[in-house]
Formats: sequence, structure tokens, C-alpha cells
Amino acid sequence: MIVGDLKALDEIIASLKGYRRILAVGCGSCVTVCLSGGDREARELARELSRTRYYAQDPPLVNWTTIERQCEKDFLLSYLEIPEGTDAVLSLACGAGVQTMASLYEPLPVIPALNTTFLGASNEPGVWEEMCRGCGDCMLSFTGGICPVARCAKSLFNGPCGGSQGGSCEVREDMPCAWAMIFYRLKKQGRLDQLLKVREPSDWRPAGGSGVRERRRTGIDGSPGD
Amino acid sequence: MSYFQVNDQCNGCLACVQNCPANALQAIDQGPARTLQHNMTRCARCGNCWRICPQDAIEFQYLLRNKWDDVVKLQLDRCEVCGETLYTLAYGQGLASKLPTALKPLCAKHKAGPELLAQTHFPTKASSAKGENT
Repeated sequence: MIVGDLKALDEIIASLKGYRRILAVGCGSCVTVCLSGGDREARELARELSRTRYYAQDPPLVNWTTIERQCEKDFLLSYLEIPEGTDAVLSLACGAGVQTMASLYEPLPVIPALNTTFLGASNEPGVWEEMCRGCGDCMLSFTGGICPVARCAKSLFNGPCGGSQGGSCEVREDMPCAWAMIFYRLKKQGRLDQLLKVREPSDWRPAGGSGVRERRRTGIDGSPGD
Repeated sequence: MSYFQVNDQCNGCLACVQNCPANALQAIDQGPARTLQHNMTRCARCGNCWRICPQDAIEFQYLLRNKWDDVVKLQLDRCEVCGETLYTLAYGQGLASKLPTALKPLCAKHKAGPELLAQTHFPTKASSAKGENT
């Protein structure tokens, strides 16, 4: 899922300076699950931002609501109710949600409350780890289901660097070396031969080097199906 | 209560069934009737059905905001002095079994209740090492 972190409160307050009627909007998808931008966090943030202690004058009026997904325009248009007189939206969605809202409600300012951090998974309650960088040319089938792009601190693609020591990464000792993990996983699977195969260089264009990435699913809206 | 609801424009064309990416919809044709069925545990609430329905029949708002389901009803335990709710009877029994002395929920603000709860649920490093309240 997409993982996000709530920004520091003073940064949020600074970015809302001058706005008097604010709508904090939670998102019901990824950021709900990673406990950073769901209904509960939107409500807590609205309550916190309404406290007088943060302001020299009266605090702004901060309402809150949550929509299932902020990254879908038709959802927003049909189901998000923005109270009349709202002069700024504080979005607790990921960057995709913030931008969708900002484009849809222009010129209403849509301000992010979260830093969108990575695509990750939860290995234990309350802990999320980066798993995927969305490079667009997945090689997990060759690497035992462990991504060297996301899990190696240097995103090395063809094996470990010299800093791999005893299974740990030189960048942080508590972080396992991705290539050590790949080696041992493939060894358990009896597939170490995967590491000896010579492959074509990866196509990095889908990683974002060709501009904004877009996915078109054919068969929708009358386009020819595949 | 149904989360997936259609209005009277639904003509049973099955566009929603065929386009549901989560296979959360199915139609059963039996005898003279076609029954449209929805499985909430499969539904991703992606809105695809609502988008593609040629009849504008899907009332998607019921999948976004709906009533609460009762899950379970449990007896409450209250402070014998002030009458405030403390916790459920079952929770209190579990708590009592972890405490060295009998729990007597009597005010001044439920005696040491909150402190005992805190010790039980958030043991300090020292009490964890001694195995207290665990």
C-alpha cells in the first residue's frame, strides 16, 4: 500500500496560515490502513488544529470529513461535500489524492497534511517497510521475491556492494542486505542458478524517466479490449 | 440491511456482475426470477459497478455511508459509588484475575482503577522484568 506520515503540526499550521474555514479530508484507503490519514486521524487533526494555543488570534474553524478514495474524481464530485465558505482543504491523502483534489476544486487551495513516503507492507503491527519503488519492470521472479531496487540502500541491480557484511547493510546495521536476502532465499528455493544468468539491461523508461506514467486499460469506455 | 442497493432502474443486464473486478456480485437465475447478490467481504468499493451501470441504477452512497451492525452485546460493570461505566463484566473478570488483590470499583474516581489498568496493559520495564501483572 501507499504509506504516508503526518507532517509536523507546526508545518501544517504554517501552511494553513490565513485560512479561516478549513475542511480536513481523510482518505479511506491506504492511509487509513497505515494509520496516518484516515477518518480517525482527520478528526484528531481537526480537533488539534482548533485549539487556541497555536494561534495569536482566534483559531480557524476546522471541519472534517472522510471519503473512500481521494484519488478518484467521480467519487469526489458525487460524494464529497465541501461546506460553503470553506477557504482551504487540508488533505490527509497521499500525493495522488492531494493532486486530484487540487485539480478538481481549483482555485480552492488543497494543502497536504501528509508526507507520502513509500509503497510498503506491514510486517508487524504499526511498522511498515518499503517494498516497491514502482520501477515498472518487475524482476522479483529472478530475485526470489525480494526487490533489490527498493530493498537495497543503493538500489544495486546486479549483486551486493562491498559493504555487505554478515548479512547486514553497511548503511544501517539493523537493515539486512537485500542481496544477502536474495541469495539465501534463492538458495532455499534451489534456484541459485538465477543469479548466474546473464540478462538484458533493465528497461528503466517505465521507472519514470519518460515523464508522467500512465496506464490505459483497454476495453473500458468502448476502447478495443485485449 | 444491504450495503449494495439498486434503484428501480435496474433491469438485470448484468453489466455490474461482469465488470466487478472483485467478483463481489453474482446473479442467480432460478425459476421465473433473476436475483442479484452482493458479497460485502469481497467488495473493494472501487465503484466500477456504479461507473459502468448503463441504467444509473446503483445507489453507491450506501456503500460509503451506512448503518452500524450490532456485533455483540456484553454486560457492563459500573462503579458501585458513582455509577460510571468502568468496563464490561467480562473484561473486569479478566482484569481481576491479573491483580493480586480483589478489584473493588469504588470511587474516589474509581480508586486506583486507571493506574491498575495502566499497569496491566502498559507494564513498565521494571514490572515486566519482575513478571508483574502479565
